[in-house]
Amino acid sequence: MQSPLLTRLQDALRCLPGIGPKSAQRMALHLLQRDRGGAERLVETLRAALAGIGHCRLCRNLSETEICSVCGNPARDRTLLCIIETPADAWAVEQATSYRGLYFVLMGHLSPLDGIGPETLGLDQLEVRLGAGEIREIILATNPTVEGEATAHYVADLARDHGIRATRIAHGVPLGGELEYIDGGTLSHAFSGRREW
Amino acid sequence: MRVALQPGFILHRRPYRDTSLLVEIFTQEWGRLTLVARGARGPRSRWRGLLQPFKPLLLSWAGKGGLGNLSGAEETTPAPPIPTDRLLCGFYVNELLLRLIQPHDPCSVGLFETYRNTLQALACSPFVEPVLRIYEKHLLTELGYGLLLDSEAVSNQAIIAQGLYRYLLDQGPLPMVRERPGPGIPVSGRALLALHHEALDEPALWREIKRLTRAALDLRLQGQVLKTRTLLRAEHQRRLNR
Repeated sequence: MQSPLLTRLQDALRCLPGIGPKSAQRMALHLLQRDRGGAERLVETLRAALAGIGHCRLCRNLSETEICSVCGNPARDRTLLCIIETPADAWAVEQATSYRGLYFVLMGHLSPLDGIGPETLGLDQLEVRLGAGEIREIILATNPTVEGEATAHYVADLARDHGIRATRIAHGVPLGGELEYIDGGTLSHAFSGRREW
Repeated sequence: MRVALQPGFILHRRPYRDTSLLVEIFTQEWGRLTLVARGARGPRSRWRGLLQPFKPLLLSWAGKGGLGNLSGAEETTPAPPIPTDRLLCGFYVNELLLRLIQPHDPCSVGLFETYRNTLQALACSPFVEPVLRIYEKHLLTELGYGLLLDSEAVSNQAIIAQGLYRYLLDQGPLPMVRERPGPGIPVSGRALLALHHEALDEPALWREIKRLTRAALDLRLQGQVLKTRTLLRAEHQRRLNR
């Protein structure tokens, strides 16, 4: 009894994370019954975003222009390059730290079992960039998972080939955390990475 | 059916639905299984940082047949971590298990021991080549395709170190006759004995031993390409070009 278009709309909405059939139905009915203007805007913006947002030629991050605003900003330190897994990670670093260098977004991590190798991550592109001689230090900010570590190692190796310093972000006890509740792996990492105080 | 606190390892994991993971596990008594770890990728998951490959865990799950649900994971005595430059080798060790053992296949306790010892050796031993070769040898034995290393195939005569052999994968080593080379993988008696005694201190022998175990594994892989091997080879090539 439901119109076929409505069913199609619901199915389409389910491509969003966290949206099951029930939520999809609610969203579809809301757009059609209460907010047709909003739906119009959504369609336009979505279309514009899909057409207009691609990847930055330098850092691979999502960008509307060929070179993103970070890579194109002359005030940023061009000798520092932070290697990061996803645009969300880059965003988090940008928000939380005073880092003023550039980024390189891998869009994933090495996962040979899933067929994700160096080419998928743009590491050949990174190597060309390291060879250009502008970069003095790379900061490895991949996730502290086994795959993230393997990726960091691979990138550090590339950097070494070009005589570039590679540093890894510190891993340890979260601020305000209590040692009692921290998992063993993190705690042992924090201990082996302790610093002069 | 519920299984509680079973010693095991995570072999591989991939995202599932919004916040869950599909984990491939390898356990002492139940062999290889695929489980769903609900909510494991969520920001407040109790398993954060725990469901990682190469970590010795105590796993609990529920469910019969098909996909079980992971209900608990605890870390046992932490093992020494695998150095980052050997992680790719670790992935290789995992990929072999994933490809050669099917979920719910009955597995011997020996294979689990082999796997555990291999991870430990990867973390501690000075060279990786011997660790991987010995793992491959044990893996083949546990799968029921053990290599014949201390005696000749037809004559049953003991292998002598000075001898030259050609190894036929479906039979075993045969003496190499210089005039009639014949089929099979050329291998020295020293290499065969070294692998038999698991004393692979001589780097000069690693290559021929690798050729042998690789050919034997390839036969079992039935044309499946090991992705980790491709990557390791590319990595090796890059080092050479340096």
